[in-house]
Amino acid sequence: MSSKMVEFTVNGKKLLAFEGLNLLKYLLDNGYNIPHYCYHDSLGADGNCRMCMVEIKGKKRPQIACDTLIKEGLEVNTNTPTIKRLREEILQMQLRNHPVDCPVCDKAGECYLQNYYMDYGLYKEGKHKKQKIKKSKNIEFGRNVVYDEERCILCKRCVRFFANITKTNELGVIKRANHSTISTAPNQKLQSQYAMNIVDLCPVGALLSSDFKFKQRVWFLQSSPSICHGCTKNCNITIDYSSTKFQAERIYRYKARRNEDVNGYFICDEGRLSYKEYHTNRVTQIEYKNSIIDFKEAISKIGIEIFIHKDIVILASPNLYIEELESIIKWSKKLNARLYSPLECYKDKEFADNWLKEELRVANAYGVMALEIDTSTPDISSDTLLINFDHKLAQDINTLHRIDFITHSINSQGLILPLASWVQSSRHLINSSGIKQYAPKTLVANKPILTVTEWIEAIGGDI
Amino acid sequence: MKEVKIVSKRFDIEGINHIKKAIEHGAYSTIHKMFDKDPKTIVDEIDKSGLRGKGGGGAPTGAKWKLMLQDFKLPKVLVINCDENEPGTFKDRQIISKDPHLLIEGIILTSYAIGANDVYIYIRGEYHQWQNILQKACDEAYLQGYLGKNILGSKYRVDITICKGAGAYICGEKSALLESLEGKRGHPRLKPHQKEPEWYFGRPTLVNNVETIATVPFIVENGADAYKEYGTSKSPGSMLFAMSGHINNPGVYEAEFGTSMMEYIEYYGGGIKGGNLKGVIPGGASTPILNATEVAKAKLDYESIKELGSSLGTGGMIVMNDSVNMVEALKNLLEFYHHESCGQCTPCREGTAWVDEIVESMLRYSASYNSIEQLLQIGQTMNGKTICVFAPAVSGVIDGFVKKFRSEFEEYLRGVCNE
Repeated sequence: MSSKMVEFTVNGKKLLAFEGLNLLKYLLDNGYNIPHYCYHDSLGADGNCRMCMVEIKGKKRPQIACDTLIKEGLEVNTNTPTIKRLREEILQMQLRNHPVDCPVCDKAGECYLQNYYMDYGLYKEGKHKKQKIKKSKNIEFGRNVVYDEERCILCKRCVRFFANITKTNELGVIKRANHSTISTAPNQKLQSQYAMNIVDLCPVGALLSSDFKFKQRVWFLQSSPSICHGCTKNCNITIDYSSTKFQAERIYRYKARRNEDVNGYFICDEGRLSYKEYHTNRVTQIEYKNSIIDFKEAISKIGIEIFIHKDIVILASPNLYIEELESIIKWSKKLNARLYSPLECYKDKEFADNWLKEELRVANAYGVMALEIDTSTPDISSDTLLINFDHKLAQDINTLHRIDFITHSINSQGLILPLASWVQSSRHLINSSGIKQYAPKTLVANKPILTVTEWIEAIGGDI
Repeated sequence: MKEVKIVSKRFDIEGINHIKKAIEHGAYSTIHKMFDKDPKTIVDEIDKSGLRGKGGGGAPTGAKWKLMLQDFKLPKVLVINCDENEPGTFKDRQIISKDPHLLIEGIILTSYAIGANDVYIYIRGEYHQWQNILQKACDEAYLQGYLGKNILGSKYRVDITICKGAGAYICGEKSALLESLEGKRGHPRLKPHQKEPEWYFGRPTLVNNVETIATVPFIVENGADAYKEYGTSKSPGSMLFAMSGHINNPGVYEAEFGTSMMEYIEYYGGGIKGGNLKGVIPGGASTPILNATEVAKAKLDYESIKELGSSLGTGGMIVMNDSVNMVEALKNLLEFYHHESCGQCTPCREGTAWVDEIVESMLRYSASYNSIEQLLQIGQTMNGKTICVFAPAVSGVIDGFVKKFRSEFEEYLRGVCNE
């Protein structure tokens, strides 16, 4: 791609773009609805699905847009009757051996075949009256990926993901003609730590995640953009959750969200499956010495504890958002307390690789460093009051005088106060390359749980 | 009928597979004089001769060679396409079995002309016998010093590696061949946006057919004008035409371009066997069939066959007499295409199977009344909408059979009323 701007025409409209840019990329980015299967921004063109055909002036036959480069004076037509007929015919061929699995297929509702059938379906011409080719279903590829040969349209996105992105070449096409299927090498399973991305990539219901399979229909899900808290990379994700009236909201899956500055198009499998943590082992009630107490009692207990102790240590989790950390800093100054946020315990050398996984398995460690919070381990004597804001290290500290603001339950005999988790609050994060990102609030629990800032505000009046 | 002996000049000599006998009869004579010439003059000579690729496309060879003369960072590679899978074509096999040293001589000349030290011969997997002949010939050439590090005491090196295909028709397509040679699945690549050589592991590569390369020694020895004496102005030279089917003497015979097809069939083939001529598939199974009246007009060169709506292809003629049922003949071909489609592009993957199914249902008298229109329609969908020319070829075959012998197809639909 050169840096020269050229003028070209799409459907009679004059447009400007960089010379040598992929035509399909340009059209998709600019809101043109061009059906396509094999093309994906991250993988480029392969030219096998033949759905993205457009008419180009001067060319005898329709051309695939994914293999056309923009040049001066290019005249493109995307919606002529010829093109429509062509798309109908090609879609009809895609569907020839595709089973009518939609009622039981987990992709139904977000399937490209369904979407394009709305526009390019041959509803009246009953050409599908034949025995479809029977192939295997529910093949375990390993790493939570399940493959259905019958539904596959052989766009090879998954094959190209392992060939071009991870460079591990774990999948390939076997057999020929309409018996072709995707397969791993004989007796091999997928090994890649990023394997579940092919579920996102698959435009149809051929590759499914065994983790999400048969859990929820996608049209009952709501999506919200968010940021993964698995490590300091802060990959952009989409949280798919269901919010039914009178029921607790439930997260069903994370999907990768495109952000070329941070994670590109993909996330790691560990991050993808970390949604499970949200639901397990959550703290929902205020407890003191294993018995439930009410809010007012808790506030007065905190007031007394703070009043009788001279030496106070606050542990703030590096998973908290910048604004939350700031209010903790303010409070600690008011209390004249020592504030720590040790990072050592979050380090995991084995987890790191040179792509999307980073050593520090906590979201806002670089935010902690930016706010100049002490990251060393505090020394705690028997007289010290420990105020823990969801820090991992607090589990290992044995002290009688403690107040724990936590999301997930730990073994503690002190005062335990439930804290909103990161999906229940919203604010900013700083990642390892210094990019500050906003993570919006996604879920509202049935019984609202207070965030760090709200807790401090509630306590602040009593001090 | 003028007999031509350019490629087939040593075919009739017994024991020509042995290098000593071959040298006695003039093989490798050009190699001794090769180092006196500038490589570029060889390329120019080939370009001037108007030699056209004999693998089916008929593209000018000289233009392809010239692309290799640019400066490249990585070493150049020469790949010989001997993946002869086309039904009805068996000329490359003849060259290898009857004069393998001619091919090796051509390879040395070509590699010198384009500056490629590494040569790969991609040979069809089923050609076990011919693989052995070729390997033996190469071994002999290595021993005699025609191949290897220092050819005939010069500093020039040529190494030939014989690679066996794994039995896919599509690997005869040059980009699929290279994919296969790289160890990948034989899927054709997208065509480049401008004229450029092929790429083998990122190295600039020339892919030529066996017969094209076997013609090179003649042109280098006798000059471009000597080659141009044969054939027509646009299709100069000669070609090994193969004949099979209802013919008295099937086989491979060399003839110059422009020879009348009927004359060729009469002279070499000894006439039609067991009846009258019904049709001829002119250049391997993938070219549209010609009916008897067209065959009478046809001349064996690229232009005149193209005028008749077919193409010369590889020159492998399949002759059919009037005992042939054209629907069954089409079914036979479509079964082949269904089996051999690589499965990459949707129209080809599904289309080849679909047309096969329709013709099969015709033969079972269970086709729907609009089957013929449907066949042509699917053919249209397959034509020109795929990466390689496999699907367009199938479309052409269907068009040829259905349009020229429509009454036979209609007979299978008579009395059928199921929708």
